[in-house]
Amino acid sequence: MRNKRGWFAFPYVIWMALFVVIPIVIMAVYAFTVADPATNATQASLDNFTDMGVYLSVFLRSFWLAILATLVCLLVGYPVSYWMAKEGPRFQRVAMALIMLPMWMNFLLRTYSWMSILENNGLLNQLFRAVGLLDLLGVDHIQMIGTSGAVVLGMVYNYLPFMILPIYSVIVKLDGSLLEAARDLGADSARVFSKVIFPLSLPGILSGVTMVFVPSVSTFAISNLLGGGNQMMLGDLIELQFLGGAYNPHLGAAVSMVMMAVVVVCMVVMNHFGEGEEQAVML
Amino acid sequence: MKRSNHVGSRLFIGLVFLFLYLPIFLLIIFSFNAGDSSAVWKGFSLDWYAALFQNRLIMESLYTTLLVSLLATAIATAAGTFAAIGLYSLSKRRRDALLVVNDIPMMNADIVTGVSLCLFFVAFFQGWGAFAQWFNGVQDVVELPVRLTLGFGTMLLAHIAFNIPYVILNVAPKLRQMDKNLVDAAQDLGCTWMQAFWKVILPEIKPGIVSGALIAFTMSIDDFVISYFTAGSSTSTLAMRIYSMTKKRITPEVNAVSTLLFLSVLALLVLNNVREVRQQRRAERQEIREPSFFERLSMRFSQPALRWARRGAAAALACGFIVAVALLTGATYSQPVVNVCSWGEYIDEDLITQFEDQTGIRVNYQTAESNEALYSLLKSGGADYDVIVPSDYMISQLIEEGMLEELDYSQIPNFELIDPRFRGLPYDPENKYTVPYSWGTLGLIYNANMVDEEPDSWGALYDSQYAGSVLLINNSRDALGAALLHLGYSVNTTDEAQIREAFELIAGASRRGVFQGKVMDQVFQKMEGGNAAIATYYAGDYLSMLDNQADGVDLRYVIPEEGANWFVDAMCVLKGAPHYDNALAWINFIASTDANLANMDYIWYASPNTQALEEYPAYYEELYGEELDPELYEIMAAPPEVLERCEMYLALPPATRALYNSLWIELGI
Amino acid sequence: MSKELIRLRDCVMSYGDEVVLDHINLYINDKEFLTLLGPSGCGKTTTLRIIGGFLSPTAGDVFFDGVRMNDIPPHKRAVNTVFQRYALFPHLNVFENVAFGLRIPKADRDGRKVKLPEREIHQRVMEMLEVVNLKGFEKRPVSALSGGQQQRVAIARALVNRPKVLLLDEPLGALDMRLRKDMQIELKRIQQEMEITFIYVTHDQEEALAMSDTVVVMDGGRIQQIGTPEDIYNEPKNAFVADFIGESNIIDGIMRADGVVEIFNRRFQCLDKGFEKDEPVDVVIRPEDVDIVDEAAGQLRGTVTAVTFKGMQYDTIVDFYGFKWLIQTTDYCPVDSRIGIKIDPDGIHVMKKSQYSGMFGDYSSYSEEYEELDVAEPEDGEEDGSREGGYEE
Repeated sequence: MRNKRGWFAFPYVIWMALFVVIPIVIMAVYAFTVADPATNATQASLDNFTDMGVYLSVFLRSFWLAILATLVCLLVGYPVSYWMAKEGPRFQRVAMALIMLPMWMNFLLRTYSWMSILENNGLLNQLFRAVGLLDLLGVDHIQMIGTSGAVVLGMVYNYLPFMILPIYSVIVKLDGSLLEAARDLGADSARVFSKVIFPLSLPGILSGVTMVFVPSVSTFAISNLLGGGNQMMLGDLIELQFLGGAYNPHLGAAVSMVMMAVVVVCMVVMNHFGEGEEQAVML
Repeated sequence: MKRSNHVGSRLFIGLVFLFLYLPIFLLIIFSFNAGDSSAVWKGFSLDWYAALFQNRLIMESLYTTLLVSLLATAIATAAGTFAAIGLYSLSKRRRDALLVVNDIPMMNADIVTGVSLCLFFVAFFQGWGAFAQWFNGVQDVVELPVRLTLGFGTMLLAHIAFNIPYVILNVAPKLRQMDKNLVDAAQDLGCTWMQAFWKVILPEIKPGIVSGALIAFTMSIDDFVISYFTAGSSTSTLAMRIYSMTKKRITPEVNAVSTLLFLSVLALLVLNNVREVRQQRRAERQEIREPSFFERLSMRFSQPALRWARRGAAAALACGFIVAVALLTGATYSQPVVNVCSWGEYIDEDLITQFEDQTGIRVNYQTAESNEALYSLLKSGGADYDVIVPSDYMISQLIEEGMLEELDYSQIPNFELIDPRFRGLPYDPENKYTVPYSWGTLGLIYNANMVDEEPDSWGALYDSQYAGSVLLINNSRDALGAALLHLGYSVNTTDEAQIREAFELIAGASRRGVFQGKVMDQVFQKMEGGNAAIATYYAGDYLSMLDNQADGVDLRYVIPEEGANWFVDAMCVLKGAPHYDNALAWINFIASTDANLANMDYIWYASPNTQALEEYPAYYEELYGEELDPELYEIMAAPPEVLERCEMYLALPPATRALYNSLWIELGI
Repeated sequence: MSKELIRLRDCVMSYGDEVVLDHINLYINDKEFLTLLGPSGCGKTTTLRIIGGFLSPTAGDVFFDGVRMNDIPPHKRAVNTVFQRYALFPHLNVFENVAFGLRIPKADRDGRKVKLPEREIHQRVMEMLEVVNLKGFEKRPVSALSGGQQQRVAIARALVNRPKVLLLDEPLGALDMRLRKDMQIELKRIQQEMEITFIYVTHDQEEALAMSDTVVVMDGGRIQQIGTPEDIYNEPKNAFVADFIGESNIIDGIMRADGVVEIFNRRFQCLDKGFEKDEPVDVVIRPEDVDIVDEAAGQLRGTVTAVTFKGMQYDTIVDFYGFKWLIQTTDYCPVDSRIGIKIDPDGIHVMKKSQYSGMFGDYSSYSEEYEELDVAEPEDGEEDGSREGGYEE
């Protein structure tokens, strides 16, 4: 009887082919062709890839900043998830709601509010001035906006919930008797954590890391707003080729492909670490 | 020991929440600011809320955001649930393969999804255009639209596409957990499969559907990148609107709208939480109690006799929603329309309303960041503008590439009012394509309180003594132009060596950390707030800044001794514009003296309209009851002897343009 | 006797190369308690699902009252099912679970959809709850019930629709021993009270023998034997049935003449006839049919290798020429003692050789086999299910 419902999946298969697979194929086609600026004629070529060496520093910066942001998220997010999971159900519910809440405001709004905080004449510098910190240092202001630190801060701020939620949802489901068993077998707190809790929360960490790293490495709005255009990242480079000042979708597609490939490789390597732990520990 | 640990952990969690919420609270606090700074408190007021409801650009984008999120959530939830059920009827091998594909949009970076969908839509539209042309040729029963563009529809499709995987991800585990015999049991008890679906499967997987819908909605609301690449030019979500505003000046109306959003979501969450807590308590206590009013109400409605009433009500609600959406969108789309793309803060918005009232043509007003960005947008096929307002050199490039439509000047009688000085300029020598919008100069803006001596040379831009305080204009033509002038070359040089020399000048300064950032319209808040000392920008914008400068900021404008660029922005109509006549009506309206005066007063750029230019000082005096400072007027409308020293940009050959592009990107990396 | 209600004719069920049911022929009488018995994967649940309408046979026909029903969906069959783990609707309370089927509009004689009046629904549900001893539980959520209570809800839910046939798929599998015994009696009572046909699937032979009018023993997708519990026990058709039903020692023998069978080169009197002369056969000797006597007086002599006290009797394992027998007696024989045995002619049952010959009946690995029988997982539905690729993981 049930087999007959298989056709339910059919429209979705077509949908996926149309809106997931084909777009990526088209992007690949763009990546492997170049356009002659004068005639607009396109021809197959690997130039987009061979010329990409120029952007090596953009790749390095993007990955470096994204790794930094992911690490900070992990270092901050793990303890939060861990301690949250130990609290009472009421606390947990409220905390979860509070973590989700900012996501219903668009992330650009949140990033924008950081702009006014980090400006040279912004709230933070005003605060420093008021407490005399700036005089102490003998400077007019502390440069924060337009630095890579500001970009990392923006990423951490926006993507921290993506780290907390998956880790929390794994830890909260840990079987309490496992911990008791570990204690019973003579493990102290540190050992219980390092030998039982941490390994068991790895799937959550992996999906958290993915969910922070991928948007971080590809962001362009955050680096644009908080990096002041000084911190060009892969996202900016791509955006520049499509809707920005330098129109070259072929190059943009190629950069996207390379970024996608690198991310996929990273994910595969990471998932290899967590061998067999299934993905998608979401919420 | 245990106790202190507890306090420590709570303190940490508290700090993290403070980090998460402090910026939001600041955002909210400054929405009540009397002044328009988001850093200086000038007293309490609700003005920005009033202004918000007047601001149609923000309100429209808010409406678009909510509409696209709700529609995408509803459709994706239904489709995703349907698909999930289908997936679970397939064999495990096939299902797993499909689930891998299902993961792609979730694992992919948003920008990759956005870009690939954008390319897909554009490719599809090209294919469709060819097909429609052929189809319209072979038959004349149905007339297919030949030209499709990115817009609300494509954005909605994109949202649905990235939402469905989240719905499936949430529904699938519920299906997996569901006792497989439940459906059999229901059928065994006399249900058809459909009845079993409604009575058993749906209630069972409801939590998954609800959380899937919730996440889909969250993702839609939070999305910017995918919308940005798929919405094209004629629609903007709130995020896109804010993004384009951050390029210029964000008014606290944005704070107001964020506050409203935040508070409504907070209210929903609190309500839901309270309800859940109550339910849980009740479940814990197994408490027997009188049904509350709402429960009695719902019980009454669930009585079978009233079931039809209930179904009717639900159907009516659904129909109502659809009709409302259809009416709203229909009303906006059946009306004659003109799509205008200009620069941010480049029009007195009252003019839009006036034009709409006079002609009944709805103006869809969008903005682009720069000439180059506009060019990209046009090239990528994402734009369905009728009227654009590019600058001189971009106009000649567009004409050269055959992207502009010739104007029917008989429909633009106000063209006669344009000063002959601004007709037949090099970019459009025969005056076939353009009607000038405004003109001005590009000079140095500096904060007199932040420089030791008043600069009068472009050299100040590259001077190490201002390290960290100089804003480089984020536009290759203007940035390199200034450097070329400083080196004594023409801004229109095609000599690669000269251009490279100019580039080295900039790159050297960049390495020395002279530049605080590359900005376009962000220059406003930076300069007004005293966050930077020196910038390159347009005269008109300097005058706007004067109005908004913070305490202790003293902005000045100078045309450096090496000379500067002077420019004309002119209105043109794109080739194949769908609303050609409306576009001409709009151009004619804007070219009128009244509109020019209003615009001149609002944007502080000089008008090309002879009368308006002459009358403006008097107009100003009448409006504000004080005399216009002649010095300011000269900055706005540079006198001929200043204009003498200035050079207009000409279109560069493709090779030089490519050089500009690659140098510019090199600077960024 | 009672009339025939259901007939399966040459039913074959296969998934690709895998044949799950191999030419099943079976008829079921009205008001009969019929049990499909067999180890997991034997095809019993598949047979039940074909009768229930959840599966269509790959080949062959299903008749209800002489009408071919192959493609009639479950909701149009006068059959209801009690599912393995009850499949109660978690979102409904006890009352609504039982009322579920009654609330589905049914077509009347003119084909119009008719709904039962609420009053009648209420009355019938309450009646049925009384039958299964669950009065007063109607408002409880089903998740708050014990296993036995859930079981009763499942039965009530099925019976309230007044089906002609009730299908029960290992309904007692999830209950503990004692509850199981109680429910067996309860089920039998309900069946007799309601006067309907029960088709019962189980892997538990005791349950089958205790409750059924007819037992169908299945293995490998084939029916091995159909008969009353007594027939099945006393006259197993082959080594599989003999082994599966109760305990048995199955020994190779040769039929020397009618009524004479040779085991271990010794001739025994038996009651079986009709075999070829010198035909190799399987000989079944039930453990309780063997008498232990002095070594000298025994027809066979062996050594005791293990003794287990079982309350009513001792299970004694005796080694005869390398072949281990299970003997159940009230006499205690210490390990390593030499004993003799005597078997009466009616204690010997001779079967034709079959594919199962030599696979069963040796107690060399006594303890393991015993355990295996106890835990034979009640999961064969699961196995069947995964082949269909339904909703389950």
